[in-house]
Amino acid sequence: MNRVSLGFVAPLLLLMVAAFDLPLLYMLGLGFWSRKGGFTTEHYGNVLETTVYLKVLASTLRISLIATAANIAVGYPLAYWMRGLGPKAQLLAIGLVITPFWVSILVRTYAWIVVLGNGGLVNSGLLALGVTDEPVRFLYNELGVTIGMANVLLPFLVLPLFAAMLRIDDRLLQAAASLGAPRRTIFWKVFFPLTVPALLAGALLVFILSLGFYVTPAILGGNRVAMISNLLDKLVNEIPRWEQASAISTILLVLTLAIFAAYRHLERRAQT
Amino acid sequence: MSTSGPAARRLLAAAGIGGLVFLVVPLLVVVPMSFSSAKSLTFPPPGFSLRWYVAFFGDPRWMQAMWTSLAVALISSILALLLGGLAAYGLRRAPFRGEGVAEANFVAPLVIPTIIVAVALYLGFARVDLLGTFTGLVLAHTVLSVPLVIMVLTVAIRGFDLRIEQVAWSLGASRGTTIWKIVLPNLAPNVFAAWIFAFISSFDEVIVTNFIAGAWETVPKRMFNELILEINPTITAVATLLIAFTMLALAAVAILLQRTGKLQRTLL
Repeated sequence: MNRVSLGFVAPLLLLMVAAFDLPLLYMLGLGFWSRKGGFTTEHYGNVLETTVYLKVLASTLRISLIATAANIAVGYPLAYWMRGLGPKAQLLAIGLVITPFWVSILVRTYAWIVVLGNGGLVNSGLLALGVTDEPVRFLYNELGVTIGMANVLLPFLVLPLFAAMLRIDDRLLQAAASLGAPRRTIFWKVFFPLTVPALLAGALLVFILSLGFYVTPAILGGNRVAMISNLLDKLVNEIPRWEQASAISTILLVLTLAIFAAYRHLERRAQT
Repeated sequence: MSTSGPAARRLLAAAGIGGLVFLVVPLLVVVPMSFSSAKSLTFPPPGFSLRWYVAFFGDPRWMQAMWTSLAVALISSILALLLGGLAAYGLRRAPFRGEGVAEANFVAPLVIPTIIVAVALYLGFARVDLLGTFTGLVLAHTVLSVPLVIMVLTVAIRGFDLRIEQVAWSLGASRGTTIWKIVLPNLAPNVFAAWIFAFISSFDEVIVTNFIAGAWETVPKRMFNELILEINPTITAVATLLIAFTMLALAAVAILLQRTGKLQRTLL
């Protein structure tokens, strides 16, 4: 590092090392630290042997997968529809996708209590239409958590997917049409394959973010739906078992970084 | 689109509009609820009142939380802007070995799940007695804001023609003078955007704060804990104020960037 760049970068580097890197390294070390002193892998062994931990891990993966699938189901048609809009409508749609992105996740999660509660908007609608006789229980179970998470994560899928769809040359589709391909064939054989890298990259991003969700399961799951983050909260703030929390955090970290590496790889492919 | 028939197109439009509604429905519900006259969370509200705003501004604990939030957001965003701005300039204008690693390190707090940052900072801060202190809170928020500043400003600096700076140097201006008189005025809108993003990210932060703040209460932390305990409509007023605040700040950024024609580059 030469002297000029040292002067510019060093202050921030100092802060990051002291207030981010060192705590992170300390946490990694603590996961291998025995309460009796010395090195141990018992905290990692615990994760595999304790049913509660395995259950939380499984429900985190399940909820994240379902939230990601829901995101694709809602997000792909939305991005595709936005691609075909006129410039003004397109700008408005982009604005509507970006806006919630910037609103506190607490606010957005809270709103679902109002929308999905027993006397909420959706249930009064269902009751009035006679679809059900009694309110559907959306809240304080996995369904509510999944809906809330899908809502928070949707912009992360839609924005890059939409950007990738915009890059697809309309002349490719016209060429396929002029060769006599039916509309369905053009979509599945030409358009869709071109969007797959961006779709996969977006889905991986959404999945990574799902794994670390804390606020939404805590509020919409009402203590009944535990994801890794809520377990970590208990292990740090309630039970104090810091070494165990460190081991579980490390597992989540490694998992996240591995998926992130795959995401970066796909994202690069999606941009070319 | 030429690839879909009329029926398919109508179906697609329905799906697209449905998706947009799904996205914005939380915002559309919270705002009217905050003006409700009822204590129960019925929608649409039975009548108009400002009672929840009165309750918010009349509650010393909420006011205390608001001042803490503002102070933490102000200090941490300025720190992140100063250190992040310098580093972003160094990364783009004075390349060095290990530059990629340094940049990855600066962006890492955004990539790593916030819950892990929360656990790590809790353990690390407990070790050095920063847990539950104002300093610890500011440090944590600064670390979390740094990635946004780095991302916005590295893009801005890369887009700024190096030759303009070289002219200034060749005329005898020092690096410091060049940054102060040439780079900063030209990138002012981007710097402002970076600052607003950092401020909002701190003002909205709840997870790390919940772990490390101890007795300090910020608005999101208080909101989160109230939401877990009971449903109090005062929160709709807080939520609406947060939405209004965020929208105003972003509108300011958008107008500023629009004027300088940099809106699209910063957004996408």
